Amino acid sequence: MSAHPASGIGLAVRHKLLPILAFVIFALMFGLYLLLQPHGIQTSVLVTASNKGALLALVAMAQTLPVLTGGIDLSVGAIVVLANCLASNLVNGTPAQIGLGVLAVLGTGVLAGAVNAMAVVVGRLQPIVATLATSTMFYGVSLLLRPSPGGEVDDDFASALTGDVWGVPVSLLLLIAVLGLLWWPFSRSVTGRGLFAVGSSDASAFMSGVPVGRARASAYLGAGLLAGMAGLLLTLIAESAQASAVQAGDFTLNSIAAVVIGGTSLFGGSGGLVGSVFGAFILRTIGDLLFVSAASPLWQPLFQGLILLGAVSLGALPLLRVRNRLELFR
Amino acid sequence: MLDRHPVPHANRSDSRTTARRRLQAGLSAAVLATGLLTLAPGIARAQDASDAQCFRPGGGTTATVQIPAKKAPYRIAFANGFIGNAWRVQMLQTLKAYAEQPAVKPLIKELRIVSVGTDVSAQIAAMDNFISAGFDAILIDANSPTAFKPVMRRAKQAGVVVVSFDNTLDRTGKEGPLVQVNQDQTEMGRKMGDWLLSTMKNKNHVLEVRGVPGNSVDRDRHDGFRDALKAAPGIQVTEVVGNWDDGTGQKAVADALAVNGSFDGVYTQGGSVGVTRALLDAHKLVPIGGEGENGYRKLIAANAKDGLLGDSAGQSPALSAVALKAALAVLQGHAVPEEVRVPIPEANYKTLVAGTNYFPELSDTFFAAHDFPACGITLSAADITGQSAK
Repeated sequence: MSAHPASGIGLAVRHKLLPILAFVIFALMFGLYLLLQPHGIQTSVLVTASNKGALLALVAMAQTLPVLTGGIDLSVGAIVVLANCLASNLVNGTPAQIGLGVLAVLGTGVLAGAVNAMAVVVGRLQPIVATLATSTMFYGVSLLLRPSPGGEVDDDFASALTGDVWGVPVSLLLLIAVLGLLWWPFSRSVTGRGLFAVGSSDASAFMSGVPVGRARASAYLGAGLLAGMAGLLLTLIAESAQASAVQAGDFTLNSIAAVVIGGTSLFGGSGGLVGSVFGAFILRTIGDLLFVSAASPLWQPLFQGLILLGAVSLGALPLLRVRNRLELFR
Repeated sequence: MLDRHPVPHANRSDSRTTARRRLQAGLSAAVLATGLLTLAPGIARAQDASDAQCFRPGGGTTATVQIPAKKAPYRIAFANGFIGNAWRVQMLQTLKAYAEQPAVKPLIKELRIVSVGTDVSAQIAAMDNFISAGFDAILIDANSPTAFKPVMRRAKQAGVVVVSFDNTLDRTGKEGPLVQVNQDQTEMGRKMGDWLLSTMKNKNHVLEVRGVPGNSVDRDRHDGFRDALKAAPGIQVTEVVGNWDDGTGQKAVADALAVNGSFDGVYTQGGSVGVTRALLDAHKLVPIGGEGENGYRKLIAANAKDGLLGDSAGQSPALSAVALKAALAVLQGHAVPEEVRVPIPEANYKTLVAGTNYFPELSDTFFAAHDFPACGITLSAADITGQSAK
């Protein structure tokens, strides 16, 4: 923190302070969990942790994009459930059918994102209200696609993508691929940088010639795509689907929590997807710690809340070194 | 209030240190065999003749689950879903209290309970963790009837016994040893229909207060109720949605009374206290069938003489204890029906006895149907709420 501003490494650390902090917290918590594990580090333990972590990480990444622009997407959970319900009907049969099914599911995610983008960018509705409305709509479609829980999903395909290769969980590799092949190039493009500019100050961004509308729209489209991926992963984990409004709400709330823990400002303009990934893994590790701690069941929600509060508070630590006190009110 | 009296944390010996020395889950049985030597002679009595009455087959199948006996004591895990209502809290308290019973305690080396909330993937992960940690049996109150197919495959590979209860699973026929413990929801609805038909003076117009839409329990109870009413052709039924919730039910019934004037009888699937209060507020006391809340039974006992001829039958939180009992029975090598349908605990205005099947000193949200005598599960209300002196 006290590194000289001119030093390159110091600057990089300062810029990435929150994601790094999130990573350290996660590493400590997960290390503690593995230490307390009765059977030590087994592949099955890592695969279990990676599957549920990657699922929430995808939803958190989806949420991060609109949040970076100063908006929010309350429909990410509903898009996950929508993609889940669609995938439970389509991801089955011959390899070609499975491939088409996967594309259709991801395409539906993008389409749902496009509806949000239309409402927010073209319709100029407040994101919080627009996405609340569309989430109900998406849930309605899910209910039509899957009126009662169930579905057939190809066993081998599901097992392969939720298993491991040489001891490395496949879901973790997929997550890294999404970050490296989608987010990394995008965040360096003009539109990608526009996300941050719009979130910091949309007026100045507009005056500087940033494509404000395109940046905003891309945030919601990207959110739809990532939430669609999450829905696909959920389908592979559960090999079935359920049009559950509770589950949708659960995903949305947890994604916002992961975004905050990962160091993305809810006011927009600063943060990133990598932090949110660690935020999601931190949230999931809280549950794992309860597993090894043998806490009494009625105390578990309290412990969970305390750890969560601790994680969020650590994320707020950089506020203490703020130079201009007016920034506190932003 | 019940919720403020959590069962004190059980001081179980920490099995973690011994467990860590183990190299593989496969070794755990052998280690357990050489483990605790506290196999009291009382164990045999824990699974006595009452089992046949308790483990009654249902759900249209008489198939049984039987595996070679494993050596006690066992490591049991419970992957609970959410914990946020009085029923769930009492369910957990009952499970812990039952595990502490002198006849049961020596059979259990460890009872690990994790509540994961409403997220399906977290509950699947919890089950995976329990399988990796080498537990002998896993209890589950499932967040989804269908999402556990893959994890059930892994449980089968590891030879873990799974007992689901309350919210049970859809059977695929490919799972390993799986026992499902529940009450017959259709039967419960039918009982209430029969009760109203036998108690109502006029059989013209009945109010049905339904539960959470889209839920299988709501559907089954509704089907059973309507089935029973077929015995009285021409009876008119008004349906409102009460979400099994006191507030929602009270408002829905108040509205229905305002529109329809009065009914000859009422059936509510839940939120019975609220529904009954709506009747009391409107001074329209009629025969009623409802759930098993203590507060509802208190109201019946107080107002039966004025016409509130009530019947109360409900989903008992003690299902968790029956599930544990079933898991222990399977591990001991007994044959247990795949689908256990425990008897429905029922009481009406004639059979209500204070301190036995309702508790004037306990809160309204306590579920009065708190035990299953047929299963040898006879915990006192004090045992469950943790108010016992010891």
